[in-house]
Amino acid sequence: MDFDFTDDQEQLRDAVRKWVDKGYGFERRRGIAKAGGFSREAYGQIAELGLTGLYIPEADGGLGMGPVEGMVVMEELGRGIVLEPFAQALIAGALLSGYAPAALKAAWLPKIASGEALVVLAHQERAARYDFEKCQATATAAGDAWTLDGIKSIVPAGDQAEALIVPAMAKGKLALFLVERTAAGVATRGYGTQDGGRAAELTLKNAAASLLTLDGLTALAHAVDIGIAATCAEAVGVMDKTLAITVEYMNTRKQFGVAISSFQALRHRVADMKMQLELARSMSYYASLKLNAPADERRRALARAKYQLGVSMRFVGQQAVQLHGGIGVTDEYIVSHYFKKLTQLEMSFGDTLHHLGEVSSRMQDTAGVFA
Amino acid sequence: MDLAFTPEEQAFREEIRAWVRANLPADISHKVHNALRLTRDDMQRWAKILGKKGWLGHGWPKEFGGPGWNAVQKHLFEEECALAGAPRVVPFGPVMVAPVIMAFGTPEQQKRFLPGIASGEVWWSQGYSEPGSGSDLASVKCRAERQGDKYIVNGQKTWTTLGQYGEWIFCLVRTSNEGKPQTGISFLLVDMKSPGVTVRPIVLLDGEAEVNEVWFDNVEVPAENLIGEENKGWTYAKHLLSHERTNIADVNRAKRELERLKRIAKAEGVYEDPRFRDEIAKLEVDVVALEMLVLRVLSAEKSGKNSLDIAGLLKIRGSEIQQRYSELMMLAAGPFSLPLIEEAMEAGWQGDFPGGLAGDAPLASTYFNLRKTTIYGGSNEVQRNIVSQVVLG
Repeated sequence: MDFDFTDDQEQLRDAVRKWVDKGYGFERRRGIAKAGGFSREAYGQIAELGLTGLYIPEADGGLGMGPVEGMVVMEELGRGIVLEPFAQALIAGALLSGYAPAALKAAWLPKIASGEALVVLAHQERAARYDFEKCQATATAAGDAWTLDGIKSIVPAGDQAEALIVPAMAKGKLALFLVERTAAGVATRGYGTQDGGRAAELTLKNAAASLLTLDGLTALAHAVDIGIAATCAEAVGVMDKTLAITVEYMNTRKQFGVAISSFQALRHRVADMKMQLELARSMSYYASLKLNAPADERRRALARAKYQLGVSMRFVGQQAVQLHGGIGVTDEYIVSHYFKKLTQLEMSFGDTLHHLGEVSSRMQDTAGVFA
Repeated sequence: MDLAFTPEEQAFREEIRAWVRANLPADISHKVHNALRLTRDDMQRWAKILGKKGWLGHGWPKEFGGPGWNAVQKHLFEEECALAGAPRVVPFGPVMVAPVIMAFGTPEQQKRFLPGIASGEVWWSQGYSEPGSGSDLASVKCRAERQGDKYIVNGQKTWTTLGQYGEWIFCLVRTSNEGKPQTGISFLLVDMKSPGVTVRPIVLLDGEAEVNEVWFDNVEVPAENLIGEENKGWTYAKHLLSHERTNIADVNRAKRELERLKRIAKAEGVYEDPRFRDEIAKLEVDVVALEMLVLRVLSAEKSGKNSLDIAGLLKIRGSEIQQRYSELMMLAAGPFSLPLIEEAMEAGWQGDFPGGLAGDAPLASTYFNLRKTTIYGGSNEVQRNIVSQVVLG
């Protein structure tokens, strides 16, 4: 039982923080959001730090690191509310290295690691909401080749990606496929999202696809849990900065002749924000440290974590806006952008009520970190 | 980073578990698991069993006869005791006054007082709060005047937990009115059998006399019972409060009570009701998150690499969780928690409880009793002041 970071992990944190502080300021971010919500140049800079290969084995051009390193990077990107969907590099890296046939690995892992290819998970469907076991997209086999039909929604930077990982029903069973965005029968319609980022609607009509794995349920559950852990860590970074911004504002802003940080009603609100932040940080650690546990244990833990993070995110975001007063609801000032990011993260990879249901249905007689 | 305990820590846990299983009397754990009334004898019996093994002062360093465990070992010990249904160790002697005597007492005082605390023979009480000093502890008025080789103590302490059993009491007394309130306080050990000491029980909302008023009327206390220097008592009191920071979260008991809540919900037929079940699920996440918070503090203490100043958070969250599980237990029984039948809260009662489940008898009383948790030990509002001071400056 040890929650200290190693020196290497601290160095990784410093490197990412440095890039965020120097290379991803508020004005650059605003420009990227206005230009559509995704910058290939910024994504390339993240890749230059080696981060896109974090979960990819060294033999395939990656860093071969684990969940704690992933968490550290996500926290720092969260602090800067970075728009580029870096979590997708973690998911794609882990999915392909863990489940794909050798040829697919060889074709894509080095390119994901180098940042040359953005590969994103396209698993959400309108009728399924967060239930990734429900899937209407279908896969048809013709010899060794596959074709896909279906519609996937809210695919992160889907129209900018080189390839998409798509779940589809193959002979009644969920399987995962890799689809190249430029292949015939693939159409994407990109749009901005509420946090300033980018997503796309993906339509597949008789689209050529490569089989990633026939055991789609196992792989997709794993992918979603990697996404949850990444989202939890990102949210911790966002909340950490949100609280810091709020504290700074409260110590500067004067009303009735004194700093508003002197009012006890507001001070107690800040104490409650700190509580939610530390509970969230604790559960983000828990999520990342359980990511390699057996599937059942992992699922239970990740649902618990995302529930806590959802509660914390909503509280910290709403209170930060409230404590700022009028300036908190403007587009000009930074805090509203943190609030919107938190709101979007709450609905990524399952919202709070969904995960409460998951925790509830997975309850056992005993409970605790080790149960 | 690693969530798992080391093999050595695991082995330590197994050793503790086996010992507790073999030595905790079944009649006592039965009472604890079912929230039945514990007597002074129950608490003393367990304290003496621990004392004989040398574990009553389980946080003590080796030089004072303790096991010399680190923060993680202490946590594992407390967890195994709690899950097995051991009563909480009455903390006033071994957890509160003993570390002060070790740090600031003379060798004579250490020789005189520590053995009786370690063995569980002597029952200690805490004389901190006064009618006019609740969360604002530095305002204590109970006065000690030096007359030759003794102090004359006059005044009143209150909320003295289990003071009706107390043999000795450690008190914060005012020895000076000069300067800031904190600078005129001394730390005095008083024999409760001294002439002039009167203990009056205060009946609480659950009908139990768990706390007391303690009156001092010209009580003579030998000057050798003063700890450290006169007027430095506040420093010693703070040292006491800084001890056992994670203990106050009581997360191990929360885990045990969450299991009990699930048993009660099943027996009452509400475990499969989604509305009720989701409330238990929320509490389950609360308990896991609190446990993670506690483990983070322990890890920081073990490595000494980074310090986490979040003791206030532990107290706030731990107490809220205690209140919540007692609330849900009561709600699970619903109207069947309402009959007030005192005998049904005693072990071995064979009567016919209204509705048929005798386990319902103490649920509402426990709920009422635990309202204290957000008030004592520095109310949760005071804790929020402390937390906001750290965050906002």
